[in-house]
Amino acid sequence: MAALAPILATQFLSKHFGGLTAVDAVSLEVVQGEIRAIIGPNGAGKTTLVGMICGRHMPSSGRIVYEGRDITRLRPWERLALGIVYTFQVTSIFKGLSCYENVALPAQRGLMRGFAARLVPGEAAVAGRVHTALEAVGLGGFEDQRAEALAYGHQRLLEIAMALAAEPRLLILDEPTQGLAEGEIAALCELVRRIAGQATVLIIEHNMQVVLELAQRVTVMDAGAILAEGTPAEVERHPEVQRAYLGR
Amino acid sequence: MSFGPHLFLALLEGTVTSFVLALMALGLSLVFGVMRIVNVAHGEFYMLGAVLAWVCANAVGTPVAGFAAALVVAPLAVGALAFATDRWILRRIEYHPEGTIVATIGLLYVLQQAVLMLYGPDARPVTPPVYFIVQFPWFGYSGYKLVVAAVSALVLAATWLVVTRTRLGLYMRAAQQDLEMAQAFGVPARRVYGLVFALGAMLAAVAGVLIVPIEQAHYLMGLDPLLLSFIVVIIGGLGSLRGTLVAAFVVGLSDGIVSVFFSPTLAKIIATLLVAAVLVVRPGGLFGEERA
Amino acid sequence: MSAGRKVLALHLGVLAVLFVLQFALPAYHHTNVARIMVLAAYAIGYNILLGYTGLMSLGHAMFFAAGMYGAGLPVYYFGVGAPAAFGIGLASGLALAFVFGLMALRTAGPSFLIVSMMFGQAFFLATLYFNDFTLGDQGFIVSDKLAPLRLGGASLGFHEPAVKYNLALAIFSACLMAALALRLSAVGRVLIGIRENEERTRLLGYDSFRYKLVALAVSGTFSAAAGAAYALLFSYVGSTFAAILFSIYPLLWVLLGGVGTILGPLLGTALMFYLVDTVSGFTSSYLLFVGAALIALILWFPQGILGTVRTRWLPWLP
Repeated sequence: MAALAPILATQFLSKHFGGLTAVDAVSLEVVQGEIRAIIGPNGAGKTTLVGMICGRHMPSSGRIVYEGRDITRLRPWERLALGIVYTFQVTSIFKGLSCYENVALPAQRGLMRGFAARLVPGEAAVAGRVHTALEAVGLGGFEDQRAEALAYGHQRLLEIAMALAAEPRLLILDEPTQGLAEGEIAALCELVRRIAGQATVLIIEHNMQVVLELAQRVTVMDAGAILAEGTPAEVERHPEVQRAYLGR
Repeated sequence: MSFGPHLFLALLEGTVTSFVLALMALGLSLVFGVMRIVNVAHGEFYMLGAVLAWVCANAVGTPVAGFAAALVVAPLAVGALAFATDRWILRRIEYHPEGTIVATIGLLYVLQQAVLMLYGPDARPVTPPVYFIVQFPWFGYSGYKLVVAAVSALVLAATWLVVTRTRLGLYMRAAQQDLEMAQAFGVPARRVYGLVFALGAMLAAVAGVLIVPIEQAHYLMGLDPLLLSFIVVIIGGLGSLRGTLVAAFVVGLSDGIVSVFFSPTLAKIIATLLVAAVLVVRPGGLFGEERA
Repeated sequence: MSAGRKVLALHLGVLAVLFVLQFALPAYHHTNVARIMVLAAYAIGYNILLGYTGLMSLGHAMFFAAGMYGAGLPVYYFGVGAPAAFGIGLASGLALAFVFGLMALRTAGPSFLIVSMMFGQAFFLATLYFNDFTLGDQGFIVSDKLAPLRLGGASLGFHEPAVKYNLALAIFSACLMAALALRLSAVGRVLIGIRENEERTRLLGYDSFRYKLVALAVSGTFSAAAGAAYALLFSYVGSTFAAILFSIYPLLWVLLGGVGTILGPLLGTALMFYLVDTVSGFTSSYLLFVGAALIALILWFPQGILGTVRTRWLPWLP
């Protein structure tokens, strides 16, 4: 099988907070179109790692290469423009706003070209994109509802709708199934599979069922470094992983 | 008087200002560090300290006794007022950052006008408890001012001890680091907040008591020290005690020098430009926590 | 009626009422309402920063005063005509807001507040320090140096009540409709996003610093427009308009009327104007009332009048 060029590559990426090393020289490659799961115990550095990829944190050292260019120094909004979209571990929607307004904010960005368009991008075009995104996650009828009035599971879906409206090429999901009921988890997996048709997906997860179902490859992290990498089956059998993480 | 001695005088003035400013700014910084709020009425606590000192001086016989009484009464009264404010207002709005600003602005005007109505619009002097001249070769300098510096230094040291050696200080530092964690370990956050707010107010009140024999007690006297304190905490970095102390001296000395050589008004304008310069280079202040 | 039409009808309706009001008001209230409209423009400017971007400033008087002096000084010293003077006032406010923003917006929340307060005070002190030039201490009058406005064939003297009222209404209308347009635009959406959750907004593709700077520039310009208008219409230019109290007034007006609503500033300014007027009849310590009002508002009525109306009954109110 011919090697596909990686859409994302980190090179010895590290992050230190004072004396604490959260991420230790992580070199990771993600191929375009794959669904990659990142697993590991709490404090392994998963969120910090993806935080550096999406621009929340500046790395202490190392490089990030995305679609062939070095994005290490780019600001968060510049990375969004390149298609790197992150959804938060702790739901970070705009609670006081309606679902429509929540999704409209990322949706309108692609339409804001030029001075005049920044002021009036054509609300119809924005509305179209909002509808599409909300329908895609199954929240079609919730447009006028205030975000904080939604059930938790629906709030998580709203986050994903917002991510979809931002036209992701690399979608980073941080523990998306946390707090969801069985049926909601199944629906989410279905949704992620559909999204993976158009975007590369990086998913941090604790739920091993979801990982086994969705991921093509798995990266295991522990104490800031990569412990193992491979297909879900390979990783599950890996002795280090069994000892450190799966508790056998 | 030639330049050298003039400069020395300016430095002396600046040093006295710095110590008093350090007291005030420390109060502001402690409150922000632990409670994450800005108290815009901080200058009015200072003013209340000065006014209460005048009241004590007039009620008690001798200047020394009056001063001693003021040093006890004023901080306690102002501390109690601050504690009540925390209990009845700040806690009710759950220490919401903007809400606190608005509430303390309201408190500023209430206190100012209350003093205006009860004490009047005049600036009234208070006799210093001790009066002696320290004679330098070029000029005589008020001994009381040096006493002010010394007492301020003592109070600063005492506060340092409270913060680093007592249980309250431990609670304060824990709450500053990580409030949730501190509460999980049994730190009584609400009570700590009330005491910290009171402590900040007491420091301002003490500064007011010390300053009133030098300047007069006037209901509008709180604004300038408030702004200077703000300048100090911005330059030093909100929440950094060490930064506050260092910045107090930077600001106090430059204020002293510019005031003596030029004018107090110009000194304030220059201090503001100093802040601008610092912010351009280091948005978090010299020792601050924020990053651009 | 669709939400958009309702909004437009409401706001145009308010302007229409204000226009018609001038024919019904007795002389005393006539000037008052003109004053209220100009001050409400100041409050609208303030609200763009506080209500829509979530940034509290305690130094806005410097923008108002920049407009006031920017318009007043050229008239006083050089007899410049009103339109040019107004333009200079606007430009002064815009420039000051932009420069201030470049410096102050790099700091986070509480620092921004403090820095704005300090710069506001420094500006105030500067108007006093350069008193020989600004005459800040006593203030000065421009009316005797101000040539009447030439419009079409007519000559409109600034002392005429009708001219004051309608020019004030014109400035207010411009600010009101511009604020509404901003609120409903894509930029407005970003500002609200920044107010609600700045980090999220950055991660959704927006350079928050740039947007905050724009908001501050617009806010400062509206405030300067109000200041310039005040100088030209009511003639007096003095340091009091640069003092801290004058930075706190718009906060009070906006809070009362409803922070984050377009019409709130007008309501709050009008109400407070008349409340203070009434209270000053009883006591000279009306500031005590101002202070108590602020505390009461924040404790029990933080959304203000129109904010509460919007939450309870009219969710479409911008």
